[in-house]
Amino acid sequence: MAGYLIRRLTTAILVVFGIILVTFLMLHIIAPSPAITVLGPKAQPAAIKAWNHANGFDKPWWDQFATYLGHLFQGNLGYSYHLNQSVTALLTEKAPLSGFLTVASLALSILVALPLGIYQGVKRNSFGDIAATSLAMIFYSMPTFLVALVLVQVFALSLKWVNPNVPQDQTLSGALAGWPDLIMPIVALTITAVASYSRYQRSAALDVLAQDYIKVARAKGLSERLVYSRHLVRNASLPMITLIGLSLPLLIAGNLLVEYTFNINGLGLLFVNALQGYDYNVLMAYTLITAVLTVVGNLIADICLTLSDPRIKLV
Amino acid sequence: MALLEVNNLTTHIAISRGSVQAVDGVSFHLEAGETLGLVGESGCGKSMTGLSLMRLLPPGGQLVGGTSIKLDGRELVDLAEPDMRKIRGNEIAMVFQDPMSSLDPTKTIGYQVAEPVMLHRGVSKAEAMERAAEVLGLVGLPKPKERLGDYPHQLSGGLRQRVMIAMALACEPKVLIADEPTTALDVTIQAQILTLLNDLKDRLGMAMILITHDMGVVAGHADRINVMYAGRIVESTKTDELFSDMRHPYTQGLLASIPRLAQDNTQKLFTVPGLPPDLASPPTGCRFAARCSYATDECRTEDPKLAGPKEHTFACFHPVDGPLDLTASTIATERTAPAVKEKRPLLEVTDLVKEFPVGGNMFGRNKAVVHAVSGVSLSLGYGETFGLVGESGCGKTTLGRMIVGLEKPNSGLVTLDGTQVGSLRGKALRRHRRDLQMMFQDPHASLDPRMRVGSILREPLQIQGIGTTQEQLSLVTELLGEVGLPKSALERFPHEFSGGQRQRLGLARALTLHPKVIVADEPVSALDVSIRAQVLNLMKRLQGSHDLSYVVISHDLAVVKYLADRIGVMYLGKMVEVGSGEDIYQRAAHPYTAGLLEAIPVPEPEVEREKRGGGIKGELPSPVAPPSGCRFRTRCPLAQERCAEEEPAMRLFGDGHVAACHFPLQTPVSDTPVAVSTPAGEAV
Repeated sequence: MAGYLIRRLTTAILVVFGIILVTFLMLHIIAPSPAITVLGPKAQPAAIKAWNHANGFDKPWWDQFATYLGHLFQGNLGYSYHLNQSVTALLTEKAPLSGFLTVASLALSILVALPLGIYQGVKRNSFGDIAATSLAMIFYSMPTFLVALVLVQVFALSLKWVNPNVPQDQTLSGALAGWPDLIMPIVALTITAVASYSRYQRSAALDVLAQDYIKVARAKGLSERLVYSRHLVRNASLPMITLIGLSLPLLIAGNLLVEYTFNINGLGLLFVNALQGYDYNVLMAYTLITAVLTVVGNLIADICLTLSDPRIKLV
Repeated sequence: MALLEVNNLTTHIAISRGSVQAVDGVSFHLEAGETLGLVGESGCGKSMTGLSLMRLLPPGGQLVGGTSIKLDGRELVDLAEPDMRKIRGNEIAMVFQDPMSSLDPTKTIGYQVAEPVMLHRGVSKAEAMERAAEVLGLVGLPKPKERLGDYPHQLSGGLRQRVMIAMALACEPKVLIADEPTTALDVTIQAQILTLLNDLKDRLGMAMILITHDMGVVAGHADRINVMYAGRIVESTKTDELFSDMRHPYTQGLLASIPRLAQDNTQKLFTVPGLPPDLASPPTGCRFAARCSYATDECRTEDPKLAGPKEHTFACFHPVDGPLDLTASTIATERTAPAVKEKRPLLEVTDLVKEFPVGGNMFGRNKAVVHAVSGVSLSLGYGETFGLVGESGCGKTTLGRMIVGLEKPNSGLVTLDGTQVGSLRGKALRRHRRDLQMMFQDPHASLDPRMRVGSILREPLQIQGIGTTQEQLSLVTELLGEVGLPKSALERFPHEFSGGQRQRLGLARALTLHPKVIVADEPVSALDVSIRAQVLNLMKRLQGSHDLSYVVISHDLAVVKYLADRIGVMYLGKMVEVGSGEDIYQRAAHPYTAGLLEAIPVPEPEVEREKRGGGIKGELPSPVAPPSGCRFRTRCPLAQERCAEEEPAMRLFGDGHVAACHFPLQTPVSDTPVAVSTPAGEAV
């Protein structure tokens, strides 16, 4: 296990390095220097040249990349010329709220989707199954922001149960003070995730129900409830572990649209603004976060799978 | 009063286009200590009968009114579900076919065996585990107490089936239903499991229902046999009487169409023509009438009832009298193999080795190797058939795949007609592939489900760029006729055909390029007995008309002996004996060959009953670390120290008969080691 982890982490570092390199190159090709952003659109070429020289943007790309990597190792993600703030500071400020949204919606969607999918598998083609499948199809094919807009229209504007504007407090505790207003963004994120997970969980449950060991369990005289709780649930949840692990970075992407819709001052909004302004240290940081989440999500899924499936040994 | 009395058992399964009458009016009784065999081909309702007794029907299935199942005088059909659950696993238990998928992969075997004990006896987990260890010991699991915490994937197929049996027996049921308990196992393991089931039945005084398609299995282990056809019992009597004095034409045909080890292989196999009826719309009258050579108009309109003396009932208006006389002139004898044109071998395989790496990591450390094929040689003459037999994991399929070039050998040579196949590249290799074609085991998986038959058959011609579209079509149509399918098949998809027809398509596809050699990997093992005979006859006939040589791979020695001129017996990647069918069957020199012959169940009750307890012990060792010296020594009754130290060389035991053993069952002709690669009829 230890050997496996060391090898996996080595690979993970290589992967993350590769992603940083590719992103860095792409951004450089698109916008070699943020000088215009800083100096304004009417800046003289000479001024731009001077600025580039002063900030190292006239060096060859590999030089700049080495500098970037060097800073990265010291925990310095660069400086946002757009927001006049260091990226690290920006992230520390905005990550907690976005992280909370992600974790809360992930936990909620697992709590809903797994039992729902199992129920649908067991009660295959019943009214409940068909209703759930149809709803899942609708929400799955709907972009998250549309779900969010519908929620705003119904619960905030028509029913007036919650405030359409979420608390603008930057800190997590501050935002949580107005927690009822966070319900809708979390629900919006959860609905999309549930729609996708429950469909997988349903088909995983159907696969397991077709296995001979379910027949054997019934032949032992177990009641249906015991057949499901002892022999179905664990086996049917195994494929979900990998799926959920892999969708960790997707949740961040979902966050982006939801944060934009609900005007939440989190990582997503930061990224959207950075995209519009070629704020490329922020873009780099965001890509880095996504890459690390992908790798970490995979690793967590593998470890969870080893713990829950006796057939899998990490060597 | 019998222990189990079943009357008029009728099961219907609702499907989208109506209802399948899976079991139709089945009645029988079972005494304590008795074994009842339930035999028939796939879809005859034998498994559904077993599931109906447990009231474990698939979705849409239901017992139809009039059904009565009485256990010890207690009617089970009317029981409420919670009461029925107290019967399942407690008074009636069931063993299923596939030990690989019948155990929950995430639960320990101890827990799975203990589960019914906790449920039905209401004991604590510790007590149930103790009972589990006891039963696991009873079924022959070594060191059961230490293995309670093992997971199913840590056990071999044979051991898993023992665990399955332990699970069924944990509560000492009165009736054990064994549904194809050994079909997924190798013959040597099958013999062990059948003996075990029989012993346990006697020791525990249970009654057993043995459901199988294999007449050989019931011959030795059943007291009485019910033959089922299309959802009904067509004949029911004592085992000996069924084999020696059957009255129903279906029983007669079924037994006659099984290839026997003692059979003269120049004779055509008896076949039952056609296919079983669709049970969603069964024919009126006798359901076998359409395939029966004795049928009259009466059979097609009137339904024959199960009648006759109580000890021997059958449902037929025109009963037959005992087995078919297979030597009678009704069955054409023909010598189908083409005359041997040349003395030199067509195909020569020399010292082929294939090793598959397993495990290890990306830096290539800790790599283990599966020794799939370890230095095998053979030769095949023009128009000859070479049979390869052995248990699963012996390397026979890998060898076949290397011969046709689907797998690259690690070392060794394949020479076809003087050309070394390994040296060919690109165009020459593609051209060469025409001469070597393959016929696969699974008729469902080996045809692309989205392609029409016409495209499937033409594809090899298109790839090889042979002929115009018109020429290709006419060749394909001609081939369809030869394998006995109508021209209209061209426009249809594979799923519209039965298993036997699909295997005919597989053969037609292999034939399109006029190959010199066809490697047939288990060509009939997925087919029912009556269909199997049709395909075997076809393969023999086409060999004559197409100047073919075959390499036939099978675990079934009877099939191989029927098709092949010479047979090679493989064990764990090594060829252990090569000889003619008669050499292998009558004069086996290697103890493994003899053990294999002993383990194969034959459809002859007297022979089978003699066999109790014999055969090969233990399980196949891991091919990752094969035993030193002779690889069979760990399971060999004759093994001595020398067998572990020195690998036995091939020695000659007669004309073309060689075996590799230090202590053979026959006296060798000479002690000098020989090579195997010689075609039939030639001295080595």
